[in-house]
Amino acid sequence: MSALLRMEFGKLARLTSVRAAAVLLLVFPALWSYAPGIHEVYGFFLVSGFQVPALSLLSSMEFLMPLLMAIVAAELVGIEATHGTLPTVLLRPVTRSAWLLAKLLVLAVFPFVAMGTFLLASLAAGLPFGFEAFLGGTGLGQGGLTGQGMLTPAAAMRELLGAYAMAALSLVPITLLAVLATVIVMNAAAGALATVSVLIVMNLLVVFPALEPYLLTTHLQAYADPVAGLPWVLTLVALYSAAFAAFAVVLFERKDF
Amino acid sequence: MSEPTGAGDAPSIRTERLGKRYGRRPIVRDLTFQVRPGEVYALVGPNGAGKTTVIRLVSGLAFPSEGRVEMLGHDPHARPDVRARLGAVVEAPAAFYPYMTGRANLRLHARLAGGVDPDRIDELLERMELGSAADRKVGVYSLGMRQRLGVAGALLTRPEVLILDEPASGMDPLSLHLVHRVLQEAAAEGAAVLLSTHHLDEVAAYGHRVGILEEGVLIDEVDLDRRRGRYRLQVDDAHAARHVLQAQPWAQEVYLRAGRVIVQIPDRGDVARLAPTLLQEGRAVTELTEDVFDLRAYYRERVVAERVRRTQVDEPVGPLPDAPPADAPEGAGR
Repeated sequence: MSALLRMEFGKLARLTSVRAAAVLLLVFPALWSYAPGIHEVYGFFLVSGFQVPALSLLSSMEFLMPLLMAIVAAELVGIEATHGTLPTVLLRPVTRSAWLLAKLLVLAVFPFVAMGTFLLASLAAGLPFGFEAFLGGTGLGQGGLTGQGMLTPAAAMRELLGAYAMAALSLVPITLLAVLATVIVMNAAAGALATVSVLIVMNLLVVFPALEPYLLTTHLQAYADPVAGLPWVLTLVALYSAAFAAFAVVLFERKDF
Repeated sequence: MSEPTGAGDAPSIRTERLGKRYGRRPIVRDLTFQVRPGEVYALVGPNGAGKTTVIRLVSGLAFPSEGRVEMLGHDPHARPDVRARLGAVVEAPAAFYPYMTGRANLRLHARLAGGVDPDRIDELLERMELGSAADRKVGVYSLGMRQRLGVAGALLTRPEVLILDEPASGMDPLSLHLVHRVLQEAAAEGAAVLLSTHHLDEVAAYGHRVGILEEGVLIDEVDLDRRRGRYRLQVDDAHAARHVLQAQPWAQEVYLRAGRVIVQIPDRGDVARLAPTLLQEGRAVTELTEDVFDLRAYYRERVVAERVRRTQVDEPVGPLPDAPPADAPEGAGR
């Protein structure tokens, strides 16, 4: 398994979508922090470098991040079909489930790596605003950007780490959904598109309030405020992830190549 | 051509009434064949005949709709570990990670196979004439180079079973010869070799058996060993000559075809006995030539005949010129 994991991490690093995502994650915070229309759109002025990460999440978690995750996950699985390398690997004494589990594990880790990079890039973009204690909030804790008085750098950093970890966690089921979709169609573009379509449909289902707590998309904003409570969000993310991974493995086990 | 080294051993590959359908469309039907250790079994047939599907079913990449497959006595789906003893190329050209070098790709496969002596990788790269290109990215390899790298990858673990789907497609004549020579050597070392191919002349030279597929059905299985070592004689009295030769212990399968005597001599050294033996019995031999089996012509005739049979099911198809000879029954065998 360790050989497979090393192999999959190596492949992940070489993916075109991962390289494109890396550029986007590094550049996006700086672009958005200094965009001239930021106040009109989001309604606030940045007063501390600790607020830039909040702006980055606020402007990307609804669509950009899920899309990136779907594309990367679909490419990591679909590229094997594109290169024709999947049968070659499966002819070795590697079980199908082990091969797919390696991909699932790598892709479950990827949102954390991506979010870590995003946080670092956001903090770098916030350098000109400084990182001293400030009056207000990071936008990712209680009190939002207005805050609840003076916020120390340590407290601000705790809020940011917690929020980014939560954001990464809420993206995990999306990467696994993309794996499932790509296993079904064995095509990266179609797999990514199918994932995005599912997310759009989930977004539309908010017109049924009874369904809302169960929708994956509802909890993409849990990094700022887990409205249904943290245990519920964690449970739902775990259940969705486990279900997507299990379905993907079961389908893959019986697939003809 | 030598006998398979494992003749008499349990088959390395065995299919029994194997079938595959996609939706309601049957791709392979009722396919039963086996490949023994040391044997080269070639699947031939027109494009779309189902060769690739058979290769994928046997190697465990696709699941049978009917029947069963055994590799080294095990179902390859139930026992994936049996693939540790398999070497295979199922894509044409062989598929590798294009951003890695040929050597790095082989190293990766060696890791997946559970470890291979690094010298084996160098040895195979040299054997497949890829030594100078070993450290170039596969993305810049030509089609023929990829195919040769594929064969090198298949041979990494000195497999007991080799399965190859058109391993020499798109190759220049030298590379083609190299690949077939390597497969022949692998079989001589005891591997059971199953390949699909359109290179009938090459396979006819060293293969043991050929399965002809048409529309997913095995319409014929040709024992090439039985077709080798045959000689054609023109004699003043063919019937009398046939009786003389049938009495010789070194002559097998004597029959008449188009007024000539056809005789199989398993030991090439006994060919020199033919004319003197007949002369001794008062028969005059005016021509003695090797009766070379033309697999290409035979294949063409069998496939055409099968197609005719399908379109005119009620009309019996006449005898085939190079199929079991029309006059064979009267004197075939001993």
